[in-house]
Amino acid sequence: MMPDQLLKIDKLNVYHGSSHTLQDIDINISNRPKAILGRNGMGKTTLCSALMGLTKAASGSVFLDQTDISSYSPESRAKTGIGYVPQGRRIFRSLTVIEHLKLVEKKDSRWSIEKIFSIFPRLAERRKNMGDRLSGGEQQMLAISRALMLDPKIMIMDEPTEGLAPTIVDDVVELLHSLAEHEIGLLLVEQNISVALEVASDILIMLNGRIVDQVTAEELKSNTQMQQKYLGINFA
Amino acid sequence: MKLFFIVFLNGLTLASLYFITACGFTLIFGLMRTVNMAHGVLLLLGAYIGYEVVEMTGFWVLGIIAGGLSCALVGAFLQAFILGRYQGDELRQTLITIAISIILADFLLWAWGGLTYQISLPEMLQGGIRLPLLNVGYSVVRLTLIGMAIVVGVLLWLLIAKTKLGIIIRAGVDDREMLQALGFEIKKIFIIVFAMGAALAGMAGVIFGSALSISPGTDIQFLLSSLVVVIVGGMGSVGGAALGALLIGLAEQYGLAYAPTYGVVFTFLIMVTVLAFRPQGILGRAEQ
Amino acid sequence: MSRTLLLIVVILIILPAFISDFWLNQILTRSIILGIAALSLTFLTTYLGVVSFAQITLAGVAGYTIAYFSPNTTGLGIELPWLFAVALALLFSTLAGAFVGAIAKKSVGIYSIMITLAISMAFFYFTRQNYSIFNGWTGFSGITAPVAFGVSLEDSLVFYYATLLSATAAGYLVVKFTSSPLGLAVQGVKDAARRVRAIGIPTTPVIIAAYAFSGFIAGMSGVLNVWQQERISSFSVGLGPTIDLLIIAVIGGMRHPLGAFIGAITYVLIDTFVIDLFSRDRFNMIIGLVLLFIVMAAPQGILGSFLSAQKRIRKYDNNAIKRKIKNDCEI
Ligand SMILES: Nc1ncnc2c1ncn2[C@@H]1O[C@H](COP(=O)(O)OP(=O)(O)O)[C@@H](O)[C@H]1O
Ligand SMILES: [Mg+2]
Repeated sequence: MMPDQLLKIDKLNVYHGSSHTLQDIDINISNRPKAILGRNGMGKTTLCSALMGLTKAASGSVFLDQTDISSYSPESRAKTGIGYVPQGRRIFRSLTVIEHLKLVEKKDSRWSIEKIFSIFPRLAERRKNMGDRLSGGEQQMLAISRALMLDPKIMIMDEPTEGLAPTIVDDVVELLHSLAEHEIGLLLVEQNISVALEVASDILIMLNGRIVDQVTAEELKSNTQMQQKYLGINFA
Repeated sequence: MKLFFIVFLNGLTLASLYFITACGFTLIFGLMRTVNMAHGVLLLLGAYIGYEVVEMTGFWVLGIIAGGLSCALVGAFLQAFILGRYQGDELRQTLITIAISIILADFLLWAWGGLTYQISLPEMLQGGIRLPLLNVGYSVVRLTLIGMAIVVGVLLWLLIAKTKLGIIIRAGVDDREMLQALGFEIKKIFIIVFAMGAALAGMAGVIFGSALSISPGTDIQFLLSSLVVVIVGGMGSVGGAALGALLIGLAEQYGLAYAPTYGVVFTFLIMVTVLAFRPQGILGRAEQ
Repeated sequence: MSRTLLLIVVILIILPAFISDFWLNQILTRSIILGIAALSLTFLTTYLGVVSFAQITLAGVAGYTIAYFSPNTTGLGIELPWLFAVALALLFSTLAGAFVGAIAKKSVGIYSIMITLAISMAFFYFTRQNYSIFNGWTGFSGITAPVAFGVSLEDSLVFYYATLLSATAAGYLVVKFTSSPLGLAVQGVKDAARRVRAIGIPTTPVIIAAYAFSGFIAGMSGVLNVWQQERISSFSVGLGPTIDLLIIAVIGGMRHPLGAFIGAITYVLIDTFVIDLFSRDRFNMIIGLVLLFIVMAAPQGILGSFLSAQKRIRKYDNNAIKRKIKNDCEI
């Protein structure tokens, strides 16, 4: 059973110099996947990076599974159970596919290299290829695998479908669905509204560093006004 | 013609030393982006310690190990307690290494004086052998040195290409933050790599002190050669260090032999030419 | 700040009346000359974002030019009227600056340290090996400061004022340059090379111009230095002076032109007095420790720390005033 409160973010504030990039962010994530939607430059990536400890928060706290990880280094956060799939994937360009997986291989993990290869046969085929020789879709699969191998309690994924071909987007969506089966929580950052609606049950709207609205996927689906207002999307 | 080949061998010898030294320098730079200006003085420290140990024990190999180990310790200490605190502020780190090199060089001068030291070689490596074909004598230790450089190069290549530590180092060179986000204690890795780089400098010092001799000033010679070698070969690349060392070592020796007044001009021209056409160095990767 | 500056200049003008010749020559004049050279470095660091180890080389180019074209006891060179010699010296140091810039144009931050250091050391070794122009490692000696416009610069007071005037001019030039369109482009390159390129300013000429300008400033210092020292040799352009200049810049602080001079006088005072408290042999140890301390504890240098402390005090004062007003109102 997953706890009701897997990740709790409490009044998180981040500054870049004098600009207040994240303002009093409060988010609770339970076993139901949550998605954050928002246009470019709203602070989504900064939030992910701050949750990972890569960007310093000025104030606020983050709890993972009841543990206060606010003062943890990025490496401790990863070890405590956050799997991070960053925007742009950030594959190591001078590591081969298999080296990526060996890097994060752990003995007691539920995820072995064989298991990953059975989920993504494509990666098995490309095992000897360098990171910078992979296609966008392959890089994304590798980035997700790399995070899964750490056996995380929750995955933080920053725009995993950015720049992918539609068929591959479907693959990713399917994979995201299966995370719940493995009892892995999910915080999904997206600009692709249909992906977010399909994967997450709750949607948070981010605007200029604030969470301005929280709705269920159903609500947002029917509310085109809201879609236009926050996300600038016009559905025909 | 004979001169040409002798000079070639001399160039190779020098290149071997430059390579071993520059390897450590480029390793540290590649991962941490720290320009370790104390690299030369670490080499000198290793040489002095090696000298003492060889004098005391009579074992040359022990001297090399001691020189490498002591530098590894000093390097690890520097990274763990001083440089590591300013990770990400490369300019400050570089200034700190300058300060440390000034202090350490003065300490070495105080402890070992301004004398020239020569580390005694095992009998096996003393003297010369007659080279086939050329029919000239050439010192055994210099040939050994070339062999050692090859061994160091191969070992480093194996380490980086084939081991887990090598994978970690390469990943860190590509994207340090991401490596952290995957749970790797970057601080520890930095300390290990700094110690390795320093150890290479220390060992190079002992080898240099055996094949030639050491005195205050050796540190600067090798710091500068390391700089030029990695500028030419490409920062952070071991292959680049090999290529750069070869070019600079040969250029220096041929310059010395054929145009002694303008030897340095060759080195300079090589550097400027490379910078003009490939600012990242011959085998270096462009910054993104 | 400008009032403070004026005050400093006034003090420096009347100071010679109160101090001995030793203080005038060995402390003040020497500090100001070093300060000008350091200014050429802090200018590059602050506005272009590069740390150049080539400034002593550029000063050396000017110094050697003066030596070559002035009467000297080496028997090398051609005598020219002093104004020509100075003009040539500044021209050559500016061109040398442009040359360094052309080589190092792609390098920012730490890369620039490595490349400029390599350039300066190449120059150092070249001066040692070349006898036809640089007279090898012995260099030139017996150079005397000229009689300019009827007064002899050999007189220490006159020379002091000439130095002070040059420093003021150098500071003024730096301030003027940085607020000129070219100067603004230079700062743009530092902040975001890509953006500057995007708005259509090619970066290479801008970078070369900044280095050339710094060469001009360094050249001023080089001319004065060779007149004061009356000699120049490969040691003047070696690694020692090169690192000393960096230390001066770091000690003083790089943000404000004045920092270079504060660093210089601090350095000269340590060099002259503090050292005697310990042993002269351990000068490097002490200067290394000072550098380490400044870099670790006060990375903005003496001036930077002073300015930010002042700011904090002001803020504190303002808050106190605000509180007082508030209290008064409540009453
Ligand atoms: N390292 C940084 N330095 C300064 N500003 C930054 C930095 N990273 C992000 N920002 C600013 O923070 C805001 C949010 O950026 P980001 O989190 O990347 O948004 P999103 O991921 O929603 O597109 C933007 O205005 C961006 O310019
Ligand atoms: Mg983003």
